[in-house]
Amino acid sequence: MNQPASLPLVASLLDAPLPASGVAWLDTVRRENRESFAAGGLPDTRVEAWKYTPLRALGQRQFASGDAAAGVRVVDPSTLALPGVDGPRLVFVNGVFRADLSALDRLPAGLTLQPLSQALEGDAQPLRFALSRHYREVGDAFARINAASAVDGVVLRVAAGTQLDVPVQLVFVGAAAEADLAWHARNVIELGEGAGLTLIEQHTANGELAHLATLVSDIEVREGARLRHVVLQGAAIGASLIRRSSLRLHARTRASLHVLELGGALVRHDIQAELTGDDARLDTRGVFMPHGRQHIDTQLAIRHQALNTVSSSNWRGVANDRARGVFRGAIVVAPGADGSDASLSNKNLLLSPGAEIDTKPELEIYADEVKAAHGATVGQLDERALFYLRSRGIALAQARALLTAAFCRAMLDDLPNEALREHLAALLIAHLPA
Amino acid sequence: MSSTSTETKATRRDNAEVVEALGRSYAAGFVTDIETDYLPPGLSEDIVRQLSALKREPSWMTEWRLGAYRHWLTMPKPDWAKLKIDPIDYQAISYYAAPKAKPKSLAEVDPALLETYEKLGIPLHERAALAGVAVDAVFDSVSVGTTFRKQLAEAGVLFCSMSEAIREYPELVQKYLGSVVPTGDNFFAALNSAVFSDGSFVFIPKGVRCPMELSTYFRINAQNTGQFERTLIVAEEGSHVSYLEGCTAPKRDENQLHAAVVELVALEKAQIKYSTVQNWYPGDENGVGGIYNFVTKRGDCRGDDSKISWTQVETGSAITWKYPSVILRGDRSVGEFHSVALTHHFQQADTGTKMIHLGKDTKSKIVAKGISAGRSSNSYRGLVKMGKGAEGARNYTQCDSLLIGKRCGAHTFPYMEVKNPSAIVEHEATTSKISDDQMFYCRSRGIREEDAVSMIVDGFCKQVFKELPMEFAVEAKKLLEVSLEGAVG
Amino acid sequence: MLKIENLHARVEGREILKGLSLSVSAGEVHAIMGPNGAGKSTLGNVLSGRDGYEVTAGTVTYNGIDLLSLAPEARAAAGVFLAFQYPVEIPGVNNTYFLRAALNAQRKVRGESELDSMQFLKLVREKLKVMQISDELLHRAVNAGFSGGEKKRNEIFQMAVLQPQLAILDETDSGLDIDALKQVAQGVNALRSPERSFLMITHYQRLLDYVVPDFVHVLADGRIVESGDKSLALKLEEHGYVGIGESYPAGATA
Repeated sequence: MNQPASLPLVASLLDAPLPASGVAWLDTVRRENRESFAAGGLPDTRVEAWKYTPLRALGQRQFASGDAAAGVRVVDPSTLALPGVDGPRLVFVNGVFRADLSALDRLPAGLTLQPLSQALEGDAQPLRFALSRHYREVGDAFARINAASAVDGVVLRVAAGTQLDVPVQLVFVGAAAEADLAWHARNVIELGEGAGLTLIEQHTANGELAHLATLVSDIEVREGARLRHVVLQGAAIGASLIRRSSLRLHARTRASLHVLELGGALVRHDIQAELTGDDARLDTRGVFMPHGRQHIDTQLAIRHQALNTVSSSNWRGVANDRARGVFRGAIVVAPGADGSDASLSNKNLLLSPGAEIDTKPELEIYADEVKAAHGATVGQLDERALFYLRSRGIALAQARALLTAAFCRAMLDDLPNEALREHLAALLIAHLPA
Repeated sequence: MSSTSTETKATRRDNAEVVEALGRSYAAGFVTDIETDYLPPGLSEDIVRQLSALKREPSWMTEWRLGAYRHWLTMPKPDWAKLKIDPIDYQAISYYAAPKAKPKSLAEVDPALLETYEKLGIPLHERAALAGVAVDAVFDSVSVGTTFRKQLAEAGVLFCSMSEAIREYPELVQKYLGSVVPTGDNFFAALNSAVFSDGSFVFIPKGVRCPMELSTYFRINAQNTGQFERTLIVAEEGSHVSYLEGCTAPKRDENQLHAAVVELVALEKAQIKYSTVQNWYPGDENGVGGIYNFVTKRGDCRGDDSKISWTQVETGSAITWKYPSVILRGDRSVGEFHSVALTHHFQQADTGTKMIHLGKDTKSKIVAKGISAGRSSNSYRGLVKMGKGAEGARNYTQCDSLLIGKRCGAHTFPYMEVKNPSAIVEHEATTSKISDDQMFYCRSRGIREEDAVSMIVDGFCKQVFKELPMEFAVEAKKLLEVSLEGAVG
Repeated sequence: MLKIENLHARVEGREILKGLSLSVSAGEVHAIMGPNGAGKSTLGNVLSGRDGYEVTAGTVTYNGIDLLSLAPEARAAAGVFLAFQYPVEIPGVNNTYFLRAALNAQRKVRGESELDSMQFLKLVREKLKVMQISDELLHRAVNAGFSGGEKKRNEIFQMAVLQPQLAILDETDSGLDIDALKQVAQGVNALRSPERSFLMITHYQRLLDYVVPDFVHVLADGRIVESGDKSLALKLEEHGYVGIGESYPAGATA
């Protein structure tokens, strides 16, 4: 077994002093999480959730905690712009809130959007539930250190009944620094009853770097609310980025999630969705495209806990060079969740002899009035389609590129923001092997 | 032996009738009253030595067992992912139990034993035996007899108990035993390697098509014992063999441990078909008693163009934990796995397969059907691995679960690991219940509810049943009906 | 043979049949016609005992017994047969095996001897000839992968083998091309006898060109609003359902 505290990574993350908030319950939560991180250390591949993502190399690295110069690092605001996205914006550089890059003037009525650091200066009580989580498993190591160390992040609330017609953009910039940094962000997002929100979450790079970032997001979608969440992960090619998004969907909610995983060296995203209210519906779509020596791991877990809940998940992976793509898609239908309808598909293309795909769809069903199905494939482009294109005069390489692009692009089809959709599609195509 | 032969006019049809007569609950649950030799409960180097001595084994075998035992001591107990299980006290189990009388041939077998097998529908007397099926009958820790040995010997096929093989064919056993499942492979394989008592040995020489089905019938009888059988099947170049295995045990309130190891070796162009109908005592409707069935089964397609196919129907045992696997080493080798696992009451089954593709153009196909009723839990767990050298390899997996009732669970955990860009892996799984429309359709044609369920379940399993030899398919179907008794309504 | 009196039935809390009365004697063929949503299929389902159809008032007497008190399989054994509008697929269950199991289950309840496979096969071959169904259909799983026409013909074939006393044909003509319709009609006609009665539920008149009914009833809003002979069907063909029954007070029956 690991000697947790002796791992260089664990020691370096514990090197930073525990942040003091002045809020007694929060200080306790932070201390407890720090203790469990120190005791548990990092999971090894015998822990089921980390079976395909070894942390040996990361465990040997050391990171400086926080970035004292984050407030003054030069970031060109134009690099943060996205077509079709022109609304309130909250920007963090190496985990630190940057008012100068953000757009918080003229917030629409019903929208609360501020950095966690500011929110904690006021009444911290409304954040207590979301920030008081305990992480019991050693597999939760990064959530533990995040809960212990994150001093900033996003607080976003949409008041009941408020339909926002402009998207809200959250940007997490990794910026080159003098040393490899570790930074953490904690996001608390809540949609009130009947509220509507489009949320764009963006991870970008400013220069070459090899930081470690952890992000934990708690997203509460109250009765009848509608959330459209788009994640564009374009972190620096050397970065380690470990995220967890927990969603709770109450009755009659509609939530969709579109994820593009393009950047990062070691990328892990845990998506944990609970459909706790009757008639809740979740649609997830995602594309992961590791190349070079990237390792991108998505762990999607959807729990149907109420009547007539629906989830539909469709994920595509393309692995090239010596990269590794990992996907787990677990569906649980809890006892009594009758009328649930769950489907999941994960299709993958393996483009190179050095690349690897590990995929693991799971069904865990405890109710009988259920429709549940999953499928997964790993393989190559359809030979017949390739031949068809070639017979029409398209060269092999181009035919491949076309079909691969189509394979990924399909995941964006149900994104209504056309300008954004076309931009994301162009990013996908740019990411394909030449 | 006229006292028994008068009652042994069994034919195939009788076999079906016996099974039918097993009635509506676990009718294989009777106990045979017979004098038994035991080793005292507990496990130590000394016990392993005693066991080996009792079986008059050569010293290399004793050392092999001791090596496995020492390794076992160092291994952590398995972490039960989806199983609810009380800790097993390995020191409370007796590792050897055998009828006192040691027959030299079938003619000398204790009548009470012959009667036991007849009751189970497995007559051992050759003139009464199932036509075209040679049977090795294993009672607790030892083989009590093997039928049709002469005919098989004429074809060059070796079919005998493992104990005998160790004494008679030591060079073959030494060459192949542990070559597919190494002694330290997993906790139960290590335990089995240390204490296995008997099992079947099959050797099909080059180019021989085995003239009949081979079969082993396992019976646990004694109390507080475990059964640890070891089966080894070697098919040399171009040979073919089909092997069947059946198992039952008496009803007892304690859980009994069954930890078998089965190793299959297929050399170039050889084909092995291995079928199992597992009906160990499942425990009662309150979850009391039943067999813990922890089995390691693995086949090695060692030669090019070889084929190994596993077919299993799992209806018994309180807990089943087995993943019959195929290592597709030879180029163009083929692995198949067809499975029906039915759980009822408090049964738990965690079963599936591993297909490890190493050779070029290897193919595997997995069809797994799970049926859960009562408060049972039924999981498919499988691994398809495409190694770097698995150029052009293919896998297709289909897992379907059927739920009967609201308090059971049906789970699917497939793992796919692909390292070759020319390989193709496909997996599909569905979960459903018997639809109200199907039930109504059957009933409106006059078919009773319970019969309609049997019929629909049988249809659900058809793809797997058709892989079984005829006699077993009939038995399997009846077993499902019996096992589902009381599941509806 | 069949007497329906003041039948009221609900589906998912909504009242669909609102006082339907109908009387069928042995050997008669009755056509029940009506617009979509009139309650035609509900009638078939109530008569064959499907779950989810709640009878709130009225009686159905079949050969002197209370039909509504019987389980679906008991109704089948008593000689009631429903040809489904949408026959369900039962994967893996062989068509022949299914039919033999059904026939023997019914015979057993009636105290008749069960047919062995030879006797059954003989019976099936006879009926196949009448129905012009290919052998191949028998070897497939029940309705699995059948075309719409094959499913309907399979229903009539089952009826031929099971020999019911009262056959309810629920929109058996829907979705059939003219050739398939003729084949189905031929099958039905071959089964007409003085002992056997038919209730043909249909939206269109065209089936009645080939199976000529003794009586035609118009079902609208859960009641029979008009009854007559074959000419009524032709009138409907010409004028549609608009206006039918409007001149009749609620609850009026033939």
